[in-house]
Amino acid sequence: MSLAAEAFVSQIAAVEPWPENATLYQPLKDDQILLSDHASSLAVQAYLRMCTLPVQVACRANAEYMSPSGKVPFIHVGNQVVSELGPIVQFTKAKGHSLSDGLNEVQKAEMKAYMELVNSMLLTAELYILWCDENTAKQITVPRYSTPYPWPLNHILAYQKQWEVKRKMKAIGWAGKTIDQVYEDVSQCCQALSQRLGTQPYFFNKQPTELDALVFGHLFTILTTELTSDALAERVKNYSNLLSFCQRIEKNYFGDNDSSSIVGRISPFS
Amino acid sequence: MRALKNMAAPMELRCWGAGWGLPSVHTETLIVLAYAKFSGADLKIHVVDCTWKTFTGTIPALVLEETVVTGHVEILNHLRKQKYNADYDLSAKQGADTLAFIALLEEKLYPALLHTFWVDAENYSNVTRPWFASRIPFPLNFYLPGRKSSEAVNRILLTQGRPPLYSISEVEAKIYNDAKECLNLLSYRLGSSEYFFGNTPTSLDAFIFGFLGPLHKVHLPSGQLQQHLKQLSNLCHFCDNIISTFFMPNASGFGSFGQETVDANLQKLTQLVNKESNLIEKMDDNLRSSPQHKPRKSNNMRSSQVLNGGDESSVSA
Repeated sequence: MSLAAEAFVSQIAAVEPWPENATLYQPLKDDQILLSDHASSLAVQAYLRMCTLPVQVACRANAEYMSPSGKVPFIHVGNQVVSELGPIVQFTKAKGHSLSDGLNEVQKAEMKAYMELVNSMLLTAELYILWCDENTAKQITVPRYSTPYPWPLNHILAYQKQWEVKRKMKAIGWAGKTIDQVYEDVSQCCQALSQRLGTQPYFFNKQPTELDALVFGHLFTILTTELTSDALAERVKNYSNLLSFCQRIEKNYFGDNDSSSIVGRISPFS
Repeated sequence: MRALKNMAAPMELRCWGAGWGLPSVHTETLIVLAYAKFSGADLKIHVVDCTWKTFTGTIPALVLEETVVTGHVEILNHLRKQKYNADYDLSAKQGADTLAFIALLEEKLYPALLHTFWVDAENYSNVTRPWFASRIPFPLNFYLPGRKSSEAVNRILLTQGRPPLYSISEVEAKIYNDAKECLNLLSYRLGSSEYFFGNTPTSLDAFIFGFLGPLHKVHLPSGQLQQHLKQLSNLCHFCDNIISTFFMPNASGFGSFGQETVDANLQKLTQLVNKESNLIEKMDDNLRSSPQHKPRKSNNMRSSQVLNGGDESSVSA
């Protein structure tokens, strides 16, 4: 989003209250959505629930192409469309809903730093495993990604996506990494998160912030998604405080009338 | 040369040389040099300027007896294994914070830095390319800077751009916005302390110095990010402080205890001079930008030059 557009959006956003019919769009949850997209989508859902902003989840096969940034998930609120967690946080802030207002400037800096840690390590590792690990790509990623498309479009689009991800990995120096090194990075990231969390209920003690939503989205998805091997989930399971952190958020924010829905939303990759 | 190498410490660092008042102009090299100073590791510096190593080797590289360790992260890990650990006193939580802030730097600041030095046409053709080209042997000097520049464009587009139509003008505003926010966050985090975790420098300080050093020191014709950094005086002071404490010829870091008091005085003096020259530069800029500056300009210019000159000569001496 350009700066002018951003300023415009926050101007407009401040005027209108949050509508009842806000919708979050993501790919089909049973047989299309990928681990990384599901993690991002769950993070946004957790964030909106923490803000007590109601949103309906809609699954669309072409969600990726509907999104203004080409990334899922995105929300449709009133007459505006905003994609990805960062811009959505800004958008809700403009409407007067914020989770990080109680933090001081140093804590805000730390929160943003940890969010970048999750994005640069966990998200990149997820993409690496999905698209660059040959086994996972062949058995899970490509078939799921190309479900909605007929032949030969299914091959073309999946190949194009894989090529894009591989180019990105090459640009950031991940192309030379082995799968074990990637798992090692995930461990390192989880260790850092675990140490930062310590014995607190949330990262900044009593109140959850967008960082908690983001970490929950990724860790919960990794823990509940079946891949070709469970090496990735095993890395997370080593940290008991992260596990109870995920359970706590699940219970507090997803535990109401639709306790089955979060399990339903988790797509068993098999 | 060979005899010298065998006599000295076995760890030799291949890196880009000094310039612009910095021990090296290359971010990754700066990180390694600063970390080595902080942890007390004795590295023999082998400047690759004007040799074919600029083409064949990844820089920086740590040459050991049997192997070569390349890449700044790997070199830092190797030094840690050799018991040169600058993070020894940090708590587990501070170690986690280090990792998080390094991720912040790489995600938010690095794209804009790459753009400032390697993509922005004015800076690239007036500052970056001439500097590197003059230190790369013919005929590679015509090829390597261009390759580095296109690599930078590529990295920015692939990490920040939007597939399938990547366009650089679309991401420019975003990456500079992100980078300015990142600088603000760092400034808040540093506050009034000397280093990011109190009074001793750690690997996070080495990283931040590596990223900010060139932006702070190099005179860039087009420097919106530099202008922003100049306003955050604690970050500027942080860079100046590391340069004067660890990279002045008389200051040898933690090594010598006898010189410490002399060094401390010298450091205070250089800081004072730095501060004043900054002040004068600022006044000078203000005067220049105001319309009625003519009668005073020459006088101010001279005094700032004298101070700057004195400063620079002490750096290069």
